[in-house]
Amino acid sequence: MPKRVLENIRAFLKGFAESFKHNSTEYLEFELRELENVFALTLMGEFVGIPSPPTTLVIRLLPHMTRELYVMQRRAVEMDDILGELAGMFEIT
Amino acid sequence: MREFFLPKKDYRVVFFIGKGGVGKTTSSAAAAVALADRGYKTLIVSLDPAHNLGDVLMEKLSDKPKKIAENLYASELDMEKLIKSYLKHLEENLKHMYRYLTVINLEKYFEVLSFSPGIEEYATLEAVKEILMKGDEWDVIVFDTPPTGLTLRVLALPRISLIWTDKLIEIRRAILERRAAIANIHGEQEFVVEGERIKLPTKEEEDPVMKELKAYRKEVAFVESVLTDPDKTSVVAVMNPEMLPLYETERAYESLKKFRIPFNMIVMNKVFELKGKVPELKAKLEAQERVLREVSEKFKGVDIVKIPIFPEEPRGVERLRELGGAIIGER
Repeated sequence: MPKRVLENIRAFLKGFAESFKHNSTEYLEFELRELENVFALTLMGEFVGIPSPPTTLVIRLLPHMTRELYVMQRRAVEMDDILGELAGMFEIT
Repeated sequence: MREFFLPKKDYRVVFFIGKGGVGKTTSSAAAAVALADRGYKTLIVSLDPAHNLGDVLMEKLSDKPKKIAENLYASELDMEKLIKSYLKHLEENLKHMYRYLTVINLEKYFEVLSFSPGIEEYATLEAVKEILMKGDEWDVIVFDTPPTGLTLRVLALPRISLIWTDKLIEIRRAILERRAAIANIHGEQEFVVEGERIKLPTKEEEDPVMKELKAYRKEVAFVESVLTDPDKTSVVAVMNPEMLPLYETERAYESLKKFRIPFNMIVMNKVFELKGKVPELKAKLEAQERVLREVSEKFKGVDIVKIPIFPEEPRGVERLRELGGAIIGER
């Protein structure tokens, strides 16, 4: 029985630490996603009419940009929910 | 001989610029012939999409340097072919990597890219860069350029590209810093796409995007350093004694100054000289006189060479030789 309690306490503490870790990086992760989005958007700006960096540079970077393009694509899909995400992050309900 | 034609550090790059139809190709070919004659291993490259360097030299040219005479090599760059093959190669690479990205229709993107504004300038810059990187093979590289507008934009590109690249490096650095911070807390981060796991790079040395950015920056900085070095690059403007070419030369002079690219000389081509008096040509001669006066007032410290109009266009190495001597200056 005490073993079970100990395990529970351990699990609770682990969960607590996890959530603490999560909270501490939540802003960073949001910022990172935004930066990755901006980076991809800058390179692919021609699509939306933003002036683009040198074409050669864009073409050279594209093969390495899987992640950023993925983030940008997700961003485009979840466009209307940015406010929701921000509200969630700042615990506005 | 004018010293801005002499190779001082390894090699010399000479750009002949000017309005369409003033005789850039003839002057540049003549200068190249004369330089080759004096024992400098010379390459003349035509960057003009409307090629006529081959016509002037009376040889069929391609994008590989062809030996025309002792020490003289010539080539014509085919921009359209260059752009097409460049994009084709990349499209294939990218198609393979991005097959899952359906939102971005790559085929359409490339179709747009080949017509996107500026692609020609970038392709020209790429070509110039490749030639400069192998510059040590030559003593003198002469560029016969497209009309002023396009050429000025090409010469301005390295500076603009550097500004862009620095900005992108800054954002990239911010991304990597945040990734590293997150990885510190959560451990290594992975990114899963279509079942493939990709580790997210957090260090500058292992991030392919950063590596590419830095490699590009280095290449562009190299071109910029060559173009702005008065011991390596000189620009020769070709013009006719008329008002419009004068205005254009002035504009070129100002913008080259802004980008710190040395402007050394004006070749005043097709100057009318009459022995007798022809009343019908009086107005024309007066206009010419006015332009010649303005040029010598406005471009102080710039060499000016007058080339008389020839009854026939000089074509072929033999006939270019004499003209070239006048341009580069006698021994």
